[in-house]
Amino acid sequence: MSEKPTIEVYKKNIEDENFQAYKCVGCGCIIAPPSGTCYDCGGNKMEWAKVSGKGNLVSFTVIHIAPDEFQEETPYYVAVVELEEGTRVSARLLGVDPLKPEEVKLGIPLKLDYEKGKSGHTYLAFRPA
Amino acid sequence: MPLKNTNVVSAYQTKFGRLEGATLREIFAEAVDGATNNAGIPKKDIQAVFVGTFIPEMLVHQGHTAPLLVDYAGLRGVPATRHEAACASGATALRSAVMAIESGIYDTVLVASAEKMTSVSTNRATEALAAAADDEFESSMGLTFPGVFGIAAVAHMAKYGTTEEDMARAAVKAHKNASTNPLAQFQKEITLEKAMTPRYIAWPLKLFDCSPISDGGAALVLTSNEKAKQYTDLPVKIIGTGQASASMNLCDRNDLTAFESSIAASKEAYKMAKLGPKDMDVAVVHDCFTIAEIIASEDIGLFKPGEGAKALRDGVTALDGDIPINPMGGLKAVGHPVGATGIKQAVVIYRELIGDAGANQVTNHDTGILHNFGGTGATAVVNIMRRSDV
Repeated sequence: MSEKPTIEVYKKNIEDENFQAYKCVGCGCIIAPPSGTCYDCGGNKMEWAKVSGKGNLVSFTVIHIAPDEFQEETPYYVAVVELEEGTRVSARLLGVDPLKPEEVKLGIPLKLDYEKGKSGHTYLAFRPA
Repeated sequence: MPLKNTNVVSAYQTKFGRLEGATLREIFAEAVDGATNNAGIPKKDIQAVFVGTFIPEMLVHQGHTAPLLVDYAGLRGVPATRHEAACASGATALRSAVMAIESGIYDTVLVASAEKMTSVSTNRATEALAAAADDEFESSMGLTFPGVFGIAAVAHMAKYGTTEEDMARAAVKAHKNASTNPLAQFQKEITLEKAMTPRYIAWPLKLFDCSPISDGGAALVLTSNEKAKQYTDLPVKIIGTGQASASMNLCDRNDLTAFESSIAASKEAYKMAKLGPKDMDVAVVHDCFTIAEIIASEDIGLFKPGEGAKALRDGVTALDGDIPINPMGGLKAVGHPVGATGIKQAVVIYRELIGDAGANQVTNHDTGILHNFGGTGATAVVNIMRRSDV
């Protein structure tokens, strides 16, 4: 866990269903997706951080028309999720009907999950807690 | 201090839409000829060219476009540099040209642009557009451009009560204004009912909430005070300019109901011009999606946060309203050849301010504001223009 975090490993961790965020060594700020510089203190020394996996729904959309790579998966949710640790990530939203988006309320508590896509990728995902 | 030395003395827009049989360089050359020779400005007077194109590498398999385009357009030898900032490419080219004039390095420069988008499949064009988002963390999970603006729309709807019908009204207005604009891709009015057709692209955004894929070009000649009267009796000054960047990732923004780069760029432009939103007679904003027009009208201070949809509903932003927005039809109905859009916006304001907008002429036309933004607002550029006799 002491190695310098890289984007390559960040993405591999998601593929392995082992999501980890960056943590600023200087001030402890939790950062995801990766940034080369801490949003709070400007520091650029990072380490890995486990997260609780709890978050809440900030906003979302349902993709109906997608690039070829994802078209088979439509319609699917993409959400902005605020983690309990304060940082926000883009993620797939599971456990809600993509044809009834009007029933999804912003601010609902979510928990970390993963989605194995038909595209062959594993996506960072959340579902209602 | 307001900028003092930058004058727009000619402006030209090609037809936007599917321009069958016209290649990138031919569209560019038409725009250049329109703003130079055909406007009585000899090409030999042009000392530098600032080119706006977004992604010809993917759309027409051509890089290093500035010298190529400028050569084809009859300006071989003139320094030419391309400016790329996704959908704000045009405005960043314009802003650099303004700085070149204000610095005194050049007297007379050309700002010119073209994008050819319809020679590839819609999927390929969509893929090219997606390159303006963060590939590692947004596009890679299937988040599309309409999706990003769908997320902004959902946040705006939840916070302010904006509705899908409000957004549809922006499309209806765009089509109405474009119906009398012969350069527009869609010269046909649509009903509110049609705009509400539930063909979702990225919920809550539907087909009629989205700007189209287009070909087109636009060009302007800028010159110093000393030279301006050689070319026209009625130059239009660029008196304020602002630009800002923001995170590429939408998830890194604190507020999804506004675009911080638009707010920052407009504040800088107003401050420089020593004017405020109330001094604006007409506005052109970047309506790549209907929600983007509503949010931009708030971000550049024309309305308070959350009141953009009401202004649209009440007709305040209509052609005959108090502050017309996108009087020629905007990106939504005129088209969005990406790199050309920011320069086309300046063409629109130039024509409105000198009283040359025909059926689309606004009543008050001393001062106008232009808002161009790139990707999902990672770049925003705002310019303020005023007729020189004001």
